[in-house]
Amino acid sequence: MGSLDFARGREVGRSLGRLEAAAKVDGTVEYIHNLRLPGMLHGRIHRSSIPHGRIVRIDTSAALAVAGVHAVVTADDVARLVPDPYYGPAFHDQPILATGKVRHVGEPVAVVLADNPHAAEEAADLVAVEYEPLEAVFDEVAAAAPDAPVLHDELRPAGMFTDLKHLAGRRDTNVALDARLRSGDVEQAFAEAEHVFEHTFRTGKVMHAAFEPMVTVAEPHAAGGLTIHTASQSPSFVRSEISRLLGWPENRVRVRTAFLGGGFGAKLYIKLEAMAAVCALLARRPVRIALSMDEQFYTITKHGATVRIKTGVARDGRMTARQVETFWNGGAYADIGPRVTQKSGFSAAGPYDIEHVALDNYAVYTNEPPAGALRGFGISQLVWAYERQADVIARTLGIDPLEFRRRNALRNGRPHATGTVVVGMEVDAVLDRLAEAMAWDKPFDRGTGTIRRGRGIGIGVKACVSPTTSTAAVHIYGDGSCAVHCSTVDMGQGSDTTMAQIAAEVLGIPTTDVRVVHPDTDVTPYDMATLGSRSTFHMGNAVRRAAEDARAQIERMAPGATSFRDAMLARFAMQAGTVVGFGSYAPSYQKPDPETGLSANITPFWMLGGAGAEVEVDTETGRITVTKLVNVADVGRAINPASVERQLTGAAIMQLGFTLFEEMVFSDGQVLNASLADYKIPGFLDVPRELTGTFVEAPHPEGPFGAKGVGETGIFSPSPAIANALYDATGVMLYDMPLTPERVLRAIREAGGRPLEQA
Amino acid sequence: MKAFELVEPATIDDAIALLDAGDPGVRAVAGGSALVPMMKARLFQPTRLVSLRRIGGALRGIHAGDGGLRIGALATLTELEHSTRVRDAAPVMSRALRTLSNVRIRNVATLGGHLAHGDPHMDLPPILLTLGARVRVAGRGGERWIDINDLFLGYYQTAVAAGELITEVHVSAQPHDARTWYEKFTALSADDWPTVGAAVWYRTAGDRIGEARVAVSAATERPVRIAAAEQILTGAAPSAETFGAAADAAAAAVDPLADIRGSAAYKREMVRVHVRRALEKAR
Repeated sequence: MGSLDFARGREVGRSLGRLEAAAKVDGTVEYIHNLRLPGMLHGRIHRSSIPHGRIVRIDTSAALAVAGVHAVVTADDVARLVPDPYYGPAFHDQPILATGKVRHVGEPVAVVLADNPHAAEEAADLVAVEYEPLEAVFDEVAAAAPDAPVLHDELRPAGMFTDLKHLAGRRDTNVALDARLRSGDVEQAFAEAEHVFEHTFRTGKVMHAAFEPMVTVAEPHAAGGLTIHTASQSPSFVRSEISRLLGWPENRVRVRTAFLGGGFGAKLYIKLEAMAAVCALLARRPVRIALSMDEQFYTITKHGATVRIKTGVARDGRMTARQVETFWNGGAYADIGPRVTQKSGFSAAGPYDIEHVALDNYAVYTNEPPAGALRGFGISQLVWAYERQADVIARTLGIDPLEFRRRNALRNGRPHATGTVVVGMEVDAVLDRLAEAMAWDKPFDRGTGTIRRGRGIGIGVKACVSPTTSTAAVHIYGDGSCAVHCSTVDMGQGSDTTMAQIAAEVLGIPTTDVRVVHPDTDVTPYDMATLGSRSTFHMGNAVRRAAEDARAQIERMAPGATSFRDAMLARFAMQAGTVVGFGSYAPSYQKPDPETGLSANITPFWMLGGAGAEVEVDTETGRITVTKLVNVADVGRAINPASVERQLTGAAIMQLGFTLFEEMVFSDGQVLNASLADYKIPGFLDVPRELTGTFVEAPHPEGPFGAKGVGETGIFSPSPAIANALYDATGVMLYDMPLTPERVLRAIREAGGRPLEQA
Repeated sequence: MKAFELVEPATIDDAIALLDAGDPGVRAVAGGSALVPMMKARLFQPTRLVSLRRIGGALRGIHAGDGGLRIGALATLTELEHSTRVRDAAPVMSRALRTLSNVRIRNVATLGGHLAHGDPHMDLPPILLTLGARVRVAGRGGERWIDINDLFLGYYQTAVAAGELITEVHVSAQPHDARTWYEKFTALSADDWPTVGAAVWYRTAGDRIGEARVAVSAATERPVRIAAAEQILTGAAPSAETFGAAADAAAAAVDPLADIRGSAAYKREMVRVHVRRALEKAR
C-alpha cells in the first residue's frame, strides 16, 4: 500500500541499548570537562576559611606576582559589571563572589585567572583575606530559634516562584520558608486515637559525588554576546539567570551542554556559570573554571533534616492522624531548598490514607555549605522518618509490617493529604510485588550467634514537581533523516535513548535512526530543567507531540509517499528542505492555598517506590551487611525496561551508601572528610549479593505511552527498609542516618545492658 | 601545584645520588599512589621527584628460597597478589592483597612504597611484623638491613632515613606448622582504609602454643606488636579462653586514635574482636 508505515508498538517498551554506549566505551563521547578553547584562562577559586564573618580586607598582591597570573577577581570587580550580583532560583541571596561577608567555609571570595591551572592554584593560595569573625550557627533547629545569629539581613525572593512573594523584606530570621499543610483536625484526632507514637529522626548531610566535577567554560564574543559551555542540568535556567544578572536580553546568551558525568541534582541552577561569565567578560578571554572533587563538598549538598513525627492510630491499626514538623538544613544560601521544603514537605503523610494531617516545614539558613537538590529532593529524609515509625507502630500493635501498610494504603480515587484526588498510583500492586520479591510469607532464618539476620520493607511517595514546561522540536531533513531537538540533559540516565524511542515510535522508524541534538539554547527549545524525574513525562510528551506534528505535516505535504525521503523529494523536488514539528507540554496545576496548603491538583503524577532488604548484622562490630536489596517502582509504563531497572538498582546502591556510611563530618563548619579518600561511596564489594530493580505497570492517563518518571523512585525507601531489617534482626531502634557500625554497636550494647564507654 | 623537577634514573646508584637528605622537597616516587594524592591535596610540594620506574633488575623480582622470600622493592602489589611463590610461602599475604585498597591502586603501588610511606592504615606491615621480615636499605653511605620490628617509628615515620631507599624485603622462611591470619575491619565502604588490622602468627608444641606473635594496625599511630597478648598465648592451650584473654590484653594495650571511622572506645573494642577472630581463624 502506498503510504507511510506508521505502525505502533515497535520501539516503546523495548530494552534498547544506549545510543551513545559505544562512544562512552571508546572515550569519544563529548564532555565539557574536556573542552579547551584558544586563549583560554584557567580560574581557581580562593575560598573562605571561616564559617561566618565580615571581610575587612583582601590582599591580592602576592597572588598577582605569580608568573602566569592574569588577574585576581573579587566582589569589587564583579560589581563593576553586575551591580546587584545576587542569584538563586528561589531567593536572590547568593553573591557571585562573597560581598561584604562570608557565610560558610569554602565560600568563593576571589577567583585567580592564569595562563595555566597550576599557576592559578598556587596564586589562589596566596590571596590573603582578613576577616572579622561573626558568631556562626550550624544546627537547623538552633538556627530557626529567635535568638540565633542571622545570616541574611533581609529575605529577597526571586520572581520565578510567585508563592514566595509574601516573604519579601522579612528580616531578622534564618527561616527562609515556612510551608504548612492543614487537613482535618489533628488535635482532636490525637485525643481520640487508641495509640499515639512520637519520634524524632535525623539525617546528616551527604554529597552527590558525580564523577565529572562541576565545570564551566565562558566564552565572550567581540560582538557583545556570550557562550557558556557548562556541565549543567538546567541550560534554560542558566540563560535566563545570566541574562538577568547582566541586564541583557536572553538572545545574547547562549548556553550549551554535552553529556554529563553524573548530575544527581548538583548541577542545577547557577553553580560556576555566573562566576565564569563575569571573569570572561572582565578578562575579555575565555575562562574555564573546573572544580576538584574536594571543592564540591563546599558547593552543594543534600539537606540534613530533623523530622519530628507524631502519628495517631486506631485500635484496628489504621492511622487516623499525623503531625510532622521538619527542619531542613539549607546551609548558607537557599538554592532550591525552599522548593524542597514545600514540594517534598507536603508528602510527609506518605502513601497512606490519613484523615487528619498537619505538616510544618522550615527551610533554615545555617553556616554550612548550601544544600539543594539531590536525587529524591527531600523525600528520602521524610520516608526515613515515616517508614521507620511505621515498623515501630506495626511491631507495637502486633501487626505484620506489610499488612500494616496494606491496611493504610492510599488508593486511587481517594484524596491525598493535599486534597488532590489520587490518580495512577498503585500502592497495592507495589506492595504485592514487594511481598513476592521478598518471599514475605515464607519462613526466614534469623541467624545465630554473633550474626543476626533480619528483613524489612518500606514504601515512599513523591509528587512530581509542578507546574513546569517542556518544549521540543522534531526535524525531518531533506534526505528523510530525523533529529530530536530538546533541552533535556543526558547525565547518564539515558534520556537520549528514551526520547529517541518516543520519537521513533511515533514516526515509525528505528530508534537508532533518530539523532538527539544536545541542549544548546541557540538551537534547542526551552525546558525547565532535567530534574525531579520529570523528563520522561514532560519532555516525553513534548517530543511525542513534536513527532506527531512532523508526521502530520509530512502526511499533508505528500499524501501517498512511502518514506520520509520520498515525501521530501515529492515536496522539494530535490534533497532539500526541512520539516519542523513542534511540541510543548505543561500540565495543569492548582496553586495550594497559602494557609492550608490544600490544592485540588497538586501534581501531574505520583512516584511510588517500595524497597525490601535482608541484612546480616555482626553483633560484635555493629557492621550491617545488606545481603538482598529489592526496589519496586510504579512506573506507569516502561519506555525502556532495562533502563528502568538500572535506574532502580543504581539508586539502590547510591542510597545504600547514604544509609550505611556516607556522611559529611563537620567541625565549626569545616568538612573533615572533604575528599573521596575519607568520604567513602559504595564500591562493588558493597553491592548486595542479590540486587533487584523491578516495576509494576499501570499506564498513566497523561503519560507518554502511559509512562511516568523513575529517576528518583529507587532512592525513597532503601534506608528505612535496611533500618527496619536491623530492627527485625536485633530489636535495635536507630533514629539517625547513617547506620555506621559504631552507632549500631552502641545501640546493641546499650540494649544488652553492656554499654560501650563514651569517647 | 608548582613546577618541579622530575628525574628518572636508570640505576639505584643514580637514584641515590639524586636524592638530597637536606631538602625535604626531594622525594623518591615509585607507584605514586600515596605521594600524588598528597601533592594534589597540597600537603607535599616537591622540588624534585626521583622516579624509580626505569630501574629494573633486582628491585623487581620475587624469589623464593630456603631463607624465605626475597622481594624487590619495586614489585607491585598486583605482582605479589598473583605470585605463586608468595602464595606458597605466605598465604596470609596473598589473601590480604586481594582486598588491599583496589585493583587500580595495586597495579601501581609497590611493596617498597607501601612500607616506606609509614601510614598506619596499610595492610602488609602488621602481617610482616608477625611473619618476621627485614628490609634492605641503600644510601650514600652504603647498605644496611632494618628489622621489620624497628621500621615503623610513628605516624608516617619510619627508620628509613632521608636520602635512603628500600631496595629489597626479605620475609623469613616460615616453619611448616606456623598458623597465620590477618583480620581486616572496615567501618565505612568495603574498600575503605581499615579501621583495625589484626595479624597473628603462632606455632603449637604438643597441645600448647609454643611461640606467638600478634600485631595491630590502623587503630594505632603505627603498626605495633602486642607483647602482652603474645605472653598470654605463649605456653597456653589454643582455646577460646586463651584467645579471649589475649584479645583483652591487646585491647588494653593499644592507644587508639579517634577519627571519622570511630571513637577511641569503639576502636579499642574492635581491636579486641578482631584479634580474637584472627586467632580463631589462624591456619
